[in-house]
Amino acid sequence: MSVVDHNAIELSPRISEAVVADYIALLKPRVMSLVIFTALVGLVIAPGHFHPVLAFTSILCIAVGAGASGALNMWYESDIDAKMTRTANRPIPRGRITRPEALTFGMTLAFFSVMTLGILVNWFAGALLAFTIFFYVVIYTIALKRWTAQNIVIGGAAGALPPVVAWAAATGSLSVEPWLLFLIIFFWTPPHFWALALFRSDDYARAGVPMLPVVAGPDATRLQILLYTIVLVAVAAAPWPLGYFDAVYGVTSLMLGAVMLALAVNVYRNRQGRAALRATRRLFAFSILYLFALFATLLLEVVAHALAPLVFW
Amino acid sequence: MDDKDRPDGIVLTEAQKKSRRQRSIAIALALGVLVLLFFAVTLVKGPAVLNRPL
Repeated sequence: MSVVDHNAIELSPRISEAVVADYIALLKPRVMSLVIFTALVGLVIAPGHFHPVLAFTSILCIAVGAGASGALNMWYESDIDAKMTRTANRPIPRGRITRPEALTFGMTLAFFSVMTLGILVNWFAGALLAFTIFFYVVIYTIALKRWTAQNIVIGGAAGALPPVVAWAAATGSLSVEPWLLFLIIFFWTPPHFWALALFRSDDYARAGVPMLPVVAGPDATRLQILLYTIVLVAVAAAPWPLGYFDAVYGVTSLMLGAVMLALAVNVYRNRQGRAALRATRRLFAFSILYLFALFATLLLEVVAHALAPLVFW
Repeated sequence: MDDKDRPDGIVLTEAQKKSRRQRSIAIALALGVLVLLFFAVTLVKGPAVLNRPL
């Protein structure tokens, strides 16, 4: 007779079959790519020389910190993710990764990203990165998202901080320019996410998330999108007359802003049927291109200034 | 099958073994990158590596 009951194997702890791709999905790679890009711009426009190894370290830490925020966000939101079509395929609702595994993964990455940035670059940037993760997870995900329709307005600050962290990493301090980048992303967030929420409002309603279209209705959301877009276009162009960024940026910003504004007006005017859906999808898609092109202009300007002496020599 | 022929403890399936191996490699690579990063920054900063401004 055997002392060990082999049937007890049925009660054994769950053994993970999660592969690396599941953990990468927890990092929200698409959000992370935008974070890397905006942080890179913050780093590149910062004054003075910053060693490439330290620059790489900074961007890596900011990217991993953003990934940690994504993992912790999925840990907390797994219940509503399971109810929404857009998010039902995420690793936790699919059963690939458990909530404790996601929590451990997120906390580990958060710890290492902040400590590495602090030890290898500077503690000011490390503290700002820690604050960014805290703001996204605790203030946005846990406190605001299920409580108020202003969730993404206030929570947008977390998504706007990466270029500020990058500037702090490069200079050890802060000045006006990184906060201008912060404001651009901050005012870009509401039109971008409310456009998404307009054509996903059923999803959000089913999950009980009080997004603006669910709480205030689509027409009120369309008005808010238009108002925030007007502010966004003004804020994005302001650095030119204020003398922080030059005319190339200014003109590009105004041209992109005109398209963004036209699309927001289109969303405001088309309220029924397929035309309304098409207008909303167009604004959502263009908003991504808008932010990318705006920041790419800043990046290209810096590269052009750096290469100019070589070209004209 | 006789009881003495049964393996003790939990027996992993092929899928579980494969995913565990993949995760182990990923952790090893991540640790390797971390070590290289600290080494590279130490070379870049030299003795100033201990000078970390607030």
